[in-house]
Amino acid sequence: MVRPTEFKIRRTTTETNVTLLITGELDLSTVPVLAESIGRPADIAQTLTLDLSELSFMDSTGLRLLIELDQQARREDWKLSLIRPRHETAAAVLHSTGADAALPFEDAADR
Amino acid sequence: MASTLAEFIIDRAYSAVVSMDEHGLVTAWNPSAEATFGRGRDEAIGRPVAELIIPERLRTAHQEGLRRFLAVGEGPILDHRLEITALRADGTEFPVEFTISALRDGAAWSFHAFIRDISQRIEAERERERLVEELHRALRGSERRFEAIIGSLSDPVTIRDREHRFVYANPAAVAHLGFGSWEELRDTPPAAIMDQYTVSGEDGRDVRMEDIPSVRILRGEPAEPLLIRTVHRETGVQRWNLLKSAPLADEDGIVEATITIIEDVTEQTRAALQGAFLAEASALLASSLDYEQTLRNVAELAVPEVADWCAVDLIDEDGDRNSVAVAHVDPARLSLAQELREYQPARLDPEQGLGLVFRTGQSLLYPDIPDDLLAKGAVDERHLELLRAVGFRSALLVPVRVGERTLGALTLVSSDSGRVLDDFDRQLAEQVAARAAVAIENARLYSQRSSIARTLQRSLLPEQLPEIPGFQLASAYLPAMEGSLVGGDFYDAWSVGGRWMLIIGDVTGKGVDAAAMTALVRHTMRTASEFLTSPAELLARVDATLKQRPALSVCTALCLRLEEDRATLAVGGHPLPLYISGERVSTVGEHGPLLGAFADVAWRDIDVDLEPGSTLVAYTDGITDAVDGSGRRFGIERLCDALKDAGDRPAAEVIGRLVRALEVFQTGAHADDTAAVAVHRLPLAEALIDPSRDDSHATNGEDQDRRLAGAGHGQTD
Repeated sequence: MVRPTEFKIRRTTTETNVTLLITGELDLSTVPVLAESIGRPADIAQTLTLDLSELSFMDSTGLRLLIELDQQARREDWKLSLIRPRHETAAAVLHSTGADAALPFEDAADR
Repeated sequence: MASTLAEFIIDRAYSAVVSMDEHGLVTAWNPSAEATFGRGRDEAIGRPVAELIIPERLRTAHQEGLRRFLAVGEGPILDHRLEITALRADGTEFPVEFTISALRDGAAWSFHAFIRDISQRIEAERERERLVEELHRALRGSERRFEAIIGSLSDPVTIRDREHRFVYANPAAVAHLGFGSWEELRDTPPAAIMDQYTVSGEDGRDVRMEDIPSVRILRGEPAEPLLIRTVHRETGVQRWNLLKSAPLADEDGIVEATITIIEDVTEQTRAALQGAFLAEASALLASSLDYEQTLRNVAELAVPEVADWCAVDLIDEDGDRNSVAVAHVDPARLSLAQELREYQPARLDPEQGLGLVFRTGQSLLYPDIPDDLLAKGAVDERHLELLRAVGFRSALLVPVRVGERTLGALTLVSSDSGRVLDDFDRQLAEQVAARAAVAIENARLYSQRSSIARTLQRSLLPEQLPEIPGFQLASAYLPAMEGSLVGGDFYDAWSVGGRWMLIIGDVTGKGVDAAAMTALVRHTMRTASEFLTSPAELLARVDATLKQRPALSVCTALCLRLEEDRATLAVGGHPLPLYISGERVSTVGEHGPLLGAFADVAWRDIDVDLEPGSTLVAYTDGITDAVDGSGRRFGIERLCDALKDAGDRPAAEVIGRLVRALEVFQTGAHADDTAAVAVHRLPLAEALIDPSRDDSHATNGEDQDRRLAGAGHGQTD
């Protein structure tokens, strides 16, 4: 199947921060890829930033992963930072589930 | 599952197997393909087939053919054996023989090619042509040189005069035709020699004297080499011969005689036929999970190529024999074969025939079946009569085994063709049986698993929606395509304290955990609704319950309360329902947070004005997230399009429209599970005057994989 945008993760690492720029669709088939790529954040950095600004779609499995990461960050005392998707379809899911307000989101322009 | 079986078969295929998708990209590349094209699987997967194995000058035709097939759904080259030039990784070209089949896989086509390198065969053909050339030259020279060359050839060579009598045969030809000396052969009329054999061509049709190349030459026709299968009437031995003839003309150019080289190609022809047969049987077995139908197809395929009739028996869990397929070369005699099968008792004699094969798991080959063996095996007179009428020449019984367990057996019988089944046939049948065993085992496992999932799923959805005065309800649940997992979508409706509650939701995840959460959410809702009347408070209660679970448990839910002419709604992380009134479709309600996910959250009750004759549709995101063959999502716009104008229709029709629109969009592509519920408020007049009106049955096809389930309806009582 051809996806509109290929799912890609670009990783940038500094001493304290790991940033993953995620492009494409985050759903049942790509969530495991992202989860594996994140690994155990507590071991590698003080802050994990997931830049979702280029994300074109997210389903409930993607959302679930974000919630899990948020809970994990609180438990393990590291910082999760999320960048809002620009695409409307992906942003709508965050809005309609309340995740937009409850999870540590920032606008792409803020950075 | 199907992919595991396909991979198992493809990995062991003798032919190179290359599969590609609609975009011409390689999706399968078996070990034989690695050897044939000199390129590893990892390197090939995902790259265009055209670049890997098709010479540059042929690529346009390939792409054009693919494009045309996708446009019109048929292609002239599909399912035919063809020869073409292919490309190796090192850039060299070589001749191949291939068949290509198209398979509809969900919304997309996939293409599967079985390819064999035939450079050796082509080389051998050239070698023979050179020899015939040389013979011609020799014939123009001295008689002695001719004798010296032909006499020492290991291939049989004959020369016939205009009356088809043999005027010369080298020692190899004398032996090949079954004679002790040249004189004996010379004195036997040609027709009598032909009569000793049944002769058929590659297509299985009889070959007559006038079809033989030497005879055609004498008639002045061009004579292509002819491949024939001969079965000796007495011994039952079969051979494949390639006949090549050339005219021998005198000085005036008048043909006086013909020279024929008889090439014994038994081994390579049977190997090629075996390969093609196995490839076809493998593709059939991998094509479907309905293994009984598949085994019938394989039995049909075996006739007449391998035998004159073929039967497949399976043993069920109780050890009873179950005849699943019988195919006969002569359809008119099929009933005879079937009647004969019924003669065998369900419990077989463990010391002979099928019973012995089932007990030992070993093949049995009866090359010759004399009449007294039939008499010994017959149960009564009618049985013996049937056995004789079928005319057993030779029989082969091969077990279908998985590990040490025997699932059944293939029975191959040669009768009309008169040929003797041999070790070669046994090997072929055993290979087919091995593939069949895997297909059967996988299909059984799969059907068990998916029936458990179906049962569990059904227990998670209401048997029937309640009847609500003044309203009509209908629902649909479409399970995920894989069918072997319980999905996370659910809905429920019940009456409590003079009110009606309706929920629809989606727990994240699949399988046992999703089932447990679904049950928990429904149970909590139903129990809490006894003392909580506010939908928002009910959602808060479920939220609290989910947060008590040890692992993250999140769930979307929409809760609707119906009272006579009032509707109240609360939404937790769920798509807002659609309100259809006249031509207008709009969302109603207000988003609230996902359940079980966040701290310090609350939900709000929203009153919805449900006008008489309007409809409210609540659905899960399985609908809007559905993907078509090219990766597009169904989306809310398509959903609204499907529903506009439908507000005044019966609830079941509204749901029907939604399901059809979704199915047309997906045309069988992979789908996640999906649920939808429609609440139609009856027009006032209808609600009062015609309480018994019942046109709201949603289709309920139990037998369909994607079906509408739990279609309920309600109207005024």
